[in-house]
Amino acid sequence: MHEESDSALIARTKVDPEAFGILYERYVGRIYNYTYYRTSSHQDAEDLTARTFYRAMQHISYYVDRGAPFSAYLYRIAHNVVVNWHRDTSRRQIISLDDLVMRLSAPEEPAALAEEHENQALLLEAVRRLPPERQQLLILKFVEQMKNAEIAQVMGRTEGAIKSLYHRTLVTLREELTGVESGQEEPTWRTSNE
Amino acid sequence: MNEKRMTEVLAAHADGLTGSPAAIQQVHMTNEERSRLAPLFELAERLQHSMPPVQPSAAFVQNLGKDLIDKARRQIALTKRVRRITLIGAAALGSLLSIASVVGAIVFVVARLRARAQARTLRAPAGQA
Repeated sequence: MHEESDSALIARTKVDPEAFGILYERYVGRIYNYTYYRTSSHQDAEDLTARTFYRAMQHISYYVDRGAPFSAYLYRIAHNVVVNWHRDTSRRQIISLDDLVMRLSAPEEPAALAEEHENQALLLEAVRRLPPERQQLLILKFVEQMKNAEIAQVMGRTEGAIKSLYHRTLVTLREELTGVESGQEEPTWRTSNE
Repeated sequence: MNEKRMTEVLAAHADGLTGSPAAIQQVHMTNEERSRLAPLFELAERLQHSMPPVQPSAAFVQNLGKDLIDKARRQIALTKRVRRITLIGAAALGSLLSIASVVGAIVFVVARLRARAQARTLRAPAGQA
């Protein structure tokens, strides 16, 4: 069956409450993934996903289609919601190792597995210390498996800028991990060029 | 290996990791380039492995969806009510203005007729009065 376009659904939200429900079902998974990888907690991800959709619904009558996908609008709201959440709670982000254990299925030796988990935890912790825009890029690329052109649309940049940001992100992340592994202090991220 | 070339190769490698293996196969790298980029390739692979998609619980998705639809229904109803009230208000105001303008016009005409009659009376000779 032909799937109704986002634009048609957005137009229909003015008169039909079910239309927003369809948009919600279409994007709830993505927004949940985004908020989960920004907070490392399922509970907080649920809370922030809910806030994102409530805010989107409240402001959908002001939504103007400028050619960007509807997901860009939702990611922008989610980004603001997450930034506010970090500011309000000023929490230090903690990796939920339990979640990682649940997700990994390779039947390896316990010691090797523990080391792998530790490495993953370090990596994810380093990712969460990146500037929000770089975190968003990695989430869209590796969790959502989006192409550079799609990421560019969502983040309102050119494809070239996304490729370049990805390159710089990998380099800084590697420097950070090398620093952590050799016991150096955590670096302060530079964001002025983004 | 210049910066631009590195950026392109890394982008192709990432596309290869995320479902387009042809992307990296099309890039021809020298051994030197390959060894120089190897740590970043390895980091990208670790990222890919460490960031699997997660699923929200079905109960959460269902409850939030239901709540959103209820709220959307109430929002639409409220918008309709506000629009109706605005419409009725505008119609009432329009009617009042119309009535007021008709009354105003009548008052104006009566006042002019009276003034004319008064002026005629004043202009008439005293004997005739």
